[in-house]
Amino acid sequence: MNTAVTFDSELERLVGLVNVPDSFDYDYAEVLPRQLAAIDERFQDRVHRIKLLQNRAETAGINAVRQMADVVPLLFAHTAYKSYPESWLSESKWDRMGRWLDTVSTRRVERMDTAGIEGLDAWLLRLQDQGHHVSCSSGTTGKCAMMNATQADLDFCGQSLLRALIWQGLGPNGDRKMISLGQVAASPRNRATGRPMAEAVSAPGVAPFAPNVPPITVGGITEMVVLRKKMAEGTAKPAEVAYYEAQAAAREQAIESAVEQAADALIANRHMKLHVMGLFVPLYKVAERVRAKGYSGKDFNPENSCFVSGGLKRTQLPPNYREYVFETFNMSGQRICQTYGMQELNTNAPRCPAGRYHMAPWVMLLPLDESGESLIEPPATGEIEGRAAFFDLSLDGRWGGIISGDKVRVSYGRCACGSRSPAVHENIQRYADMVAGDKIACAGTIDAYVRGVTGAES
Amino acid sequence: MSNVASLKEPAANSDQAVPAPFFVRGKLLDGREARHKSRDLGVDFATPKINLDSLVTPRTEPGPLFDVRLDEILDFLAASGEAMRCDAKGYLQGAVERISATNVLPRVVIEANVQMAAEYLNKARLLEYAQQNLGDARLLDEWVPRTDSAGRRSFTRAFPPRLIHVLPGNSPLVSVQSIALGAMVKGINLFKMGSSDPFMAVAILRTMMEVDPNHPLPRSMSAVYWRGGDESVERALYRPQYFDKIVAWGGGDAINNVVKYLGPGLQLVSFDPKTSISMIGREAFESEEILDDVATRAAHDVGMLNQEACVCSRVLFIEGDRKQVDRFCQRLQQKLVDRNANGGKAPPLPRDLAEEIEGLRSMDDDFGVWGAPDGSGLVVRSDEPVDFHPINKTANVVSVKSLRDALKWVNVATQTVGVYPPARQVELRNGLASGGAQRIVRLGDAGGQSVGAPHDAMYIMHRFVHWIVHEDGFEPG
Repeated sequence: MNTAVTFDSELERLVGLVNVPDSFDYDYAEVLPRQLAAIDERFQDRVHRIKLLQNRAETAGINAVRQMADVVPLLFAHTAYKSYPESWLSESKWDRMGRWLDTVSTRRVERMDTAGIEGLDAWLLRLQDQGHHVSCSSGTTGKCAMMNATQADLDFCGQSLLRALIWQGLGPNGDRKMISLGQVAASPRNRATGRPMAEAVSAPGVAPFAPNVPPITVGGITEMVVLRKKMAEGTAKPAEVAYYEAQAAAREQAIESAVEQAADALIANRHMKLHVMGLFVPLYKVAERVRAKGYSGKDFNPENSCFVSGGLKRTQLPPNYREYVFETFNMSGQRICQTYGMQELNTNAPRCPAGRYHMAPWVMLLPLDESGESLIEPPATGEIEGRAAFFDLSLDGRWGGIISGDKVRVSYGRCACGSRSPAVHENIQRYADMVAGDKIACAGTIDAYVRGVTGAES
Repeated sequence: MSNVASLKEPAANSDQAVPAPFFVRGKLLDGREARHKSRDLGVDFATPKINLDSLVTPRTEPGPLFDVRLDEILDFLAASGEAMRCDAKGYLQGAVERISATNVLPRVVIEANVQMAAEYLNKARLLEYAQQNLGDARLLDEWVPRTDSAGRRSFTRAFPPRLIHVLPGNSPLVSVQSIALGAMVKGINLFKMGSSDPFMAVAILRTMMEVDPNHPLPRSMSAVYWRGGDESVERALYRPQYFDKIVAWGGGDAINNVVKYLGPGLQLVSFDPKTSISMIGREAFESEEILDDVATRAAHDVGMLNQEACVCSRVLFIEGDRKQVDRFCQRLQQKLVDRNANGGKAPPLPRDLAEEIEGLRSMDDDFGVWGAPDGSGLVVRSDEPVDFHPINKTANVVSVKSLRDALKWVNVATQTVGVYPPARQVELRNGLASGGAQRIVRLGDAGGQSVGAPHDAMYIMHRFVHWIVHEDGFEPG
């Protein structure tokens, strides 16, 4: 039984650092034991609330977190958030989906009257009324990972992102027009991070721009996923296949239109200070479009800023894509904000002038071996390489420990930028992308027989 | 004098990459100019640089086997089987050593596979195979005459093709089968080896050289490696001017790489990716002994070759109530574990998959999970097939009211269906075939093989050859 509840817990103190300007510079040796104490505090509280965590703790025989290695068996892979059977979605079994969501949530997902719920979006809205803000990370080809969050999580996402931008030196002071590139799924988390940034950077009376295209809703994505499954099973009628292909084409068109609209908006507002927000792949396409229309760096304000996130998601861009984008919009130095993060976490790591992503003190980075099974003990100073796992102490609605698919190089000790926090080098690779592409075996599934699937991920 | 025997193994040096020589039209080619990674274990291996011109025989030049009689080819294959059993030069042993470094299959399984490969080269059985596949094996040697009902005369021959075989990496046995079938159709054969076994085809061909270094059979064979999808090789080679058919295994990228080169004159013979299943009737619960026997058979079909192959069962439909089905699951898991004493454990499940199954474990009303995701044998019970592809000794047991209800989950990717009790095969076979399944067997016998029976809904040799007709009009008068 946990009796170590203190008046002012380490957990609260570490998470509270989101309000401190210099929070990304700290003595790691001093913070590590505090992080461990805080993770233990979370663990003791959550182990009886999150069923999957309870199973995990029992299997691993862990009843307290004392050292980093104790955290490893308690980490979830992202697949934990998509372990529901897909047929429950396609057959609208919302009561069962609710019971599943409950096993990976901190707060109870109560039984609800599921009559009259038409589709996933409607179910998600109903959950929102109960304080469950479920975000999905998904592609059009795979199952959605469904991650529950509380209002506190959403608030924290926005707050921590703003803190990262301020630390990078953007100093949002309400003097510009925000241009959002869109093309991200309309999830509670994405909404929560976008709003505070828009409020902080926008000049009074200058409305942010976003492309006018149909929103990519979770329900819309899932509809495609379900249809694809039916196509594979052979239960989809030809008319449904035609519908699927038409929807996929419409989405391609929406993406194309968003690029065009964003390029036009950038050109039309080129005399203002701009703040561009988006993912690298669409940003690159927009930059190409802007150049094709005859505009480049000299046409834009040298004080333009941007916030870029997201990996390349298997899309091949030329090696100089960063320079190409920044030159196009006349951006440089501290006005370029990049972060490293993922849907599974509340907190992004901001990029420093030395090109490294610094961890917030309330997020523990656990470097693991490639299999994700054992910890690579971090040195006091120096560099190590491995699979990145994280424990985000701010996570409220679900468990904070997650294993990523990323291969990272982490350095400990003082960075060239002056900060002492653990920092991830910019060359982040996905293990999934490193597998040789010539795997051949006679065993396989019906998935290989489905034609015409677009690979775009949101 | 054999030019192969005089070639020495490359000396071991500080370079850790495993050497993988090529075999090109009867000659061993050493060299380590190109380095590659194996798909499963990330081990490096080194090969010679590919000489594209050497892999192509001009169409004006008949293949070395074109005019060799089937009988002589079979004699040579049988002698090669004998040589493989002796393995006097240790080529096969060397290949086993190397495969165990690059392949996920345990060593004992690979060794057993090599033994099976040697036994496959049996003259009577190969002849039976050709006879069964073509209806008349004479078609390989002769222009077989026929006069149609109107009196028009013709001569038909199963003419030798020019084939590229894109070999899978998951079963050394496939190498020997491909060589034997490619030889029996007298073709010009180019084998593109897989990265998890870039050794076995070459080892077999080298062993054949020991039988007779001047025989036309090895001269009609080449075995090389390039990374699948490497356009600098595939764009140059995959052309109807050089080859008639690409014989390819697998799906996804492996087949997409090939499909884009197909066109007039260049056909695909595809061994598509397959999943095999089991169907178990309520008769399994008639007694404790029967249940034990059924679980043993099911475990055999699931666990053979560490569940790497297409014939391995992955989803088992069973008639019974929850209690009965759970008893079966528990027993099946035990039998899977028991098998490890002989075949060894499979690799642990990938973390993502283990996690997904763990998620199911916490929904105990809807799912049951027996065992651990460590490759020793895992059973997941559900009401309908799970979303993931069960691998590394994982069985998904699905309870159904009637086996007929399970037919809706049969599709064109379903290859082998093991049925218990055997008597119920007849009741199910039309429904299974209509759903897309291609092979129905008794439960526990998925690993067996009727000589010359269709594979993946085709007669392979029939697809390999070029069916040529010489029409000679009507008899005068």
